[in-house]
Amino acid sequence: MILTGSEIDRQVSLGKIEIEPYDANKINPNSYNFALGQELLTYEDNCLDVKTTPRVSTIKIGKNGHILRPGRLYLGNTIEKMGSGHFVPTFSARSSIARLGLFINLSASLGDIGYFGQWTLQLVAVQPVRVYAGMNIGQMMWWVPSGSIQLYDGKYQNSMGPCCSRIAEDFDTGSRDVSAK
Amino acid sequence: MIITGDEILKYWRSGEIMIDPFTSDRLEPNSYGFRLGQDLKVYDDPILDSAKKSDSSSFNITDDGFLLMPDTLYLGHTHEKIGSPNFAMTLYGNRSTAAMGIWIQHSAPLGHIGSFGVWTLEIRVTQPVRIYREMTIGKIAFWCAVGKPSPYVGKYPASGRPVPSRISEEFLGGSGQKGGG
Repeated sequence: MILTGSEIDRQVSLGKIEIEPYDANKINPNSYNFALGQELLTYEDNCLDVKTTPRVSTIKIGKNGHILRPGRLYLGNTIEKMGSGHFVPTFSARSSIARLGLFINLSASLGDIGYFGQWTLQLVAVQPVRVYAGMNIGQMMWWVPSGSIQLYDGKYQNSMGPCCSRIAEDFDTGSRDVSAK
Repeated sequence: MIITGDEILKYWRSGEIMIDPFTSDRLEPNSYGFRLGQDLKVYDDPILDSAKKSDSSSFNITDDGFLLMPDTLYLGHTHEKIGSPNFAMTLYGNRSTAAMGIWIQHSAPLGHIGSFGVWTLEIRVTQPVRIYREMTIGKIAFWCAVGKPSPYVGKYPASGRPVPSRISEEFLGGSGQKGGG
């Protein structure tokens, strides 16, 4: 079962969903709108290898926005820190964003119970599109789980800002994206 | 309702969820982390016709990995056979692979109750990326269903390798619209 907007609001007030900063005006019928932060990361090397930690460069989105080019991956982040120890999060682009041909995640819409922090967005544009810091770019949903809960204790916990992939660590240490402890 | 990692373990033990090979280390708060299998397929013809069977070529991912190039669709597969007679399934990339610019499915995350086999992954990259077989690439979630389950009778039962699209069969009047994964 998915939570309605009024239930999201209620669970925020009960402390069972964390959204910081929180604005009740950003509640949708069954989701909460989140905003794009000011920084974008891109990978410096054209050719990547999942066994090698990529080198990144940072772009600061100015007040005139920044044009995202096709054929390139930009990592952004949500301004909001979001998470819940009680509900399963999924996130998607707002339909207004999808209609511009902009992906905000690459088949990775499912989060984990117990993850808290800013969320890294994987931005890929189908055609050039200018984006602005602070724009409402996506929406977070929460789902009622069935079963006892083991909280997320993975390597992205408490992320701030856009986070580059740490997949190389999976090969170094055997640590994975997600672990429940 | 989406089930938690604890509940996935419970139903794996009771045989209502099949994951083979299975290790409890891969249980996540609300999903199971699956790996990439060793075969890839690429369509031979750059222009596809949904009413015609498309020929494809197979590649093996060797110990040195395989370099995926942008603008090519690769059909990969899960290392594990996964399915359930009772739970619906949804399949996602994980944070780490998505943040490398890798898609593993194309707007088709839903798997049907009753299907069991390796899952075909629709892989695409935004920039060249080297990947390795048996790397953790995605996660699968299981959902309780309401109503009496009907057995899966689609075109893709018991798949053991990546399976190219069989949509052309629908134009021949043979097969209905019940395709899984």
